[in-house]
Amino acid sequence: MRWWVAVAWIEELIREAEKVVDEVEVYYVEGTSVSADLKKKQVSLATISQDCGLGIRTIHKGQIGSSSTNDPGRWRECLKAAVASGKFATPQEWTGLPGPEPLDTTPLAFDAGMQIEPGTARDLLDDLLEGAAAHPADVTSGSAGLSSMKVTLANNHGIRYSDRSTSVSVSLEAIHGQSTGYEFGHEWSMDRIDPVAVGERATFFACESADGKDIPTGDYDVLLSPLAYAELLGNVFVPALNGRNVQAGRSRLAQSLSQQVANPMISMYDDPLLPGADGSIRWDAEGTPTKRLDLIKDGLLCAFAYDLKTASRYGQKSTASAVRGGFGGAPTIGHHNFVVDGKRETVDDERVLYVHNIVGAHTANPMSGEFSVEFSNAFWMEGGEFQDPIRSAMFSGNVFDLHHVISGLSRESRAVGSLILPSVKINKQHIIGK
Amino acid sequence: MHGISYYDLRHVTGEVTHIDIDNGAVESAGTSFFNKAILRVLVKSGWGILQIDNYTPCTGLKFDELLERAAKLAIITEENVVLGDVPRGQLPVPPVKENPRDIGIEEKAALLAEIEKSATLPLITNRRANYIEKNEQVRFADSSGNEYSFAMSRSGFNVLAVASRNGNVQMGYEREHSIDGFNLRHQQALGTKAANLAISLLDATLAKGGKMRAVLDPELAGVFAHEAVGHASEGDLIQEGNSVLVGRTGERIGNENLTIVDDPSLHGFGFDPVDAEGAAVTRTEIIRRGVINAFLHSRESLAAVGNGIAGHARAMPGEPPLVRMSNTFIENGDSSKEEIFAECKNGIFLAGSRGGQVDPGRGIFQFNAEYGYLVENGECTKMVRDVSLSGEILTTLHGIVLCGNDRKMSPGYCGKGGQSVPVSDGAPHILLTDAVVGGSGVD
Repeated sequence: MRWWVAVAWIEELIREAEKVVDEVEVYYVEGTSVSADLKKKQVSLATISQDCGLGIRTIHKGQIGSSSTNDPGRWRECLKAAVASGKFATPQEWTGLPGPEPLDTTPLAFDAGMQIEPGTARDLLDDLLEGAAAHPADVTSGSAGLSSMKVTLANNHGIRYSDRSTSVSVSLEAIHGQSTGYEFGHEWSMDRIDPVAVGERATFFACESADGKDIPTGDYDVLLSPLAYAELLGNVFVPALNGRNVQAGRSRLAQSLSQQVANPMISMYDDPLLPGADGSIRWDAEGTPTKRLDLIKDGLLCAFAYDLKTASRYGQKSTASAVRGGFGGAPTIGHHNFVVDGKRETVDDERVLYVHNIVGAHTANPMSGEFSVEFSNAFWMEGGEFQDPIRSAMFSGNVFDLHHVISGLSRESRAVGSLILPSVKINKQHIIGK
Repeated sequence: MHGISYYDLRHVTGEVTHIDIDNGAVESAGTSFFNKAILRVLVKSGWGILQIDNYTPCTGLKFDELLERAAKLAIITEENVVLGDVPRGQLPVPPVKENPRDIGIEEKAALLAEIEKSATLPLITNRRANYIEKNEQVRFADSSGNEYSFAMSRSGFNVLAVASRNGNVQMGYEREHSIDGFNLRHQQALGTKAANLAISLLDATLAKGGKMRAVLDPELAGVFAHEAVGHASEGDLIQEGNSVLVGRTGERIGNENLTIVDDPSLHGFGFDPVDAEGAAVTRTEIIRRGVINAFLHSRESLAAVGNGIAGHARAMPGEPPLVRMSNTFIENGDSSKEEIFAECKNGIFLAGSRGGQVDPGRGIFQFNAEYGYLVENGECTKMVRDVSLSGEILTTLHGIVLCGNDRKMSPGYCGKGGQSVPVSDGAPHILLTDAVVGGSGVD
């Protein structure tokens, strides 16, 4: 579909909507993706998918309505459903949708050369298997996926933004005896992905964790890998920085603005313009121009994240934090590239309990921050080297409290979804041994 | 067509209605609609799969073109897939008492608002209630001439209450989801129940971790069955070698009193009239009287692994079928709840579920209770919060020493391979010895 064709029906939709509501916003996504899966070492299936999603939001006298469909041909029905839905919404303060800004139109996370083809997926799987062969673990499953997406945002104040993005992802699972290993990678460009390394790490962890020993219950200095840290941060801490949760009384950090909420070495920010990051974009899901949002600076809580809806209602300003889940979803408060930063140092010199991943972080208490999870691929580490593996143990604590006792951030960071994190060293954490 | 040994097409259309009420304000309410199909084509070297948005049913040349496109994808595959022969047939979708589609959204919103409002109590700082209703029309056809179609409606609600005092923030949560029709009436008490739980948790202490005897309520014991046994018995994981249960059919894994079942034909939240690749659904006893009895299978994993029953392939609209659980439960035993607490004597009672996770290859699982009580001399005493359980599949089940006679199912969703499907889990009260309980409390 050529762009002007798409414009035609979107323009018509906006004209129709203006007859019945004050404001209208159209979000349209079209994408193609290809994926291929490994079953053991064989490529077992290949999938191609053509997706589209249309999300319409209407605002009339402070009542916000929305609807979505994956069939743009039914936009009239979708608009009708959005208008009808607005009539049930409780009216709220509303400061208006944004108008257009002269933004740079060059996409920030788009690889024009990426071939969204089965052959590319096959090559990625071959590379995964090549890396996996470095250690004697058995591959159980794996996958490679490529996708290209075009997003269009339009509203009746004249915004007509569009953005293209690409993504490539690989993952591999391996087993060695009764010890498992999992690794993955995702990037927006083919140059940045390293499937050989991903395959190697998966079988490395499966092998290295074999014949683990139990440890006694006690307090230990723990080094959480970016993966393990992402589980705790993403399930508990990040939602507490969401302005909606803060205003609704669902955040433990609600009353902590300008207070110390983490060790002074820690800063957290959302940088939507971070070069090379997957989530980089110049405007958020409602068309607000993006810029860096400092949430925690040197341990001090300095801001919460807002979209237009929540900001309007509570007399705040949008922080350009609106995102949309999937194809055609309504905007919600989220982030683009969420970074944990601070003074970097070597954190694996002294003997420490290294935790590559954890099992069950989504069962943490998002209000109080209490968690109790199982280790996955945990080791004693010293001088930067993996030493004795730990078979299994439970790690219990509080996500909010542990941020006060973080004692070091590793030099390297890694992207885990939209979180960009270092490994974090945390002193004296409670471990329940077997 | 050349080289194609089998194909199937699953086309799902429908609409989703939702209402979200947050602290008395209707945040959003409305309807969205979708149309998704998936065409799977099997050639000698494996599967080629087309996922199609806005599918218009077609025949003749147009359909042949789709088959051709899917078959071409299999250029890169290399697995000789065999599909097992399976019983066919479709169960009737149980009639609903009151069809949610016959009720206007105004009435739904008003009823939901009452549930949300009933959570208004001192110390409650936030109340939130959601209603979700999914109506799906499913059409399935395969190259062997099997055709099925049915309509299903799933609806229900969640209510959350958050209590807060001096920086201590706790939550209570209740939910009801079913295939039995509209269920928002006469449920106001659940908002109050969620609020009371949140308030009680403000005074609960953190559980102290360690090994102990634990009584699990039916909801949590159901999650235990789901996490500790269900996933590891999924035929695709067995086929990949990613389960500790590989090759253990016939082995004793628990006591005589332990039978664990997955039954997609049961009229629970995980009910399917026919599975996602057109196989008949039936009760599968994964563990029978303590012995590993049968794995859950798709046609493909049945042919590759055996030792189990097909009819367990499930899929979200437009997504490829995966081997999944449906309604998973521990069968009733013969103990009363009182006997179980008396036998526990000193330990912990764990209730409600905040979900769980398993690493089936390693055989390690973890799940979390909403709340609990210390058990002293067979009586519940002090309330505890934020308590979880972990264990190893191959050893923990031996610790189930008593099963009650009061099985109850609870609805939920289960995630696998990026797909979330409706399920229900359940059990009677059970007594677990040597439970590894996690909690960050100290003496």
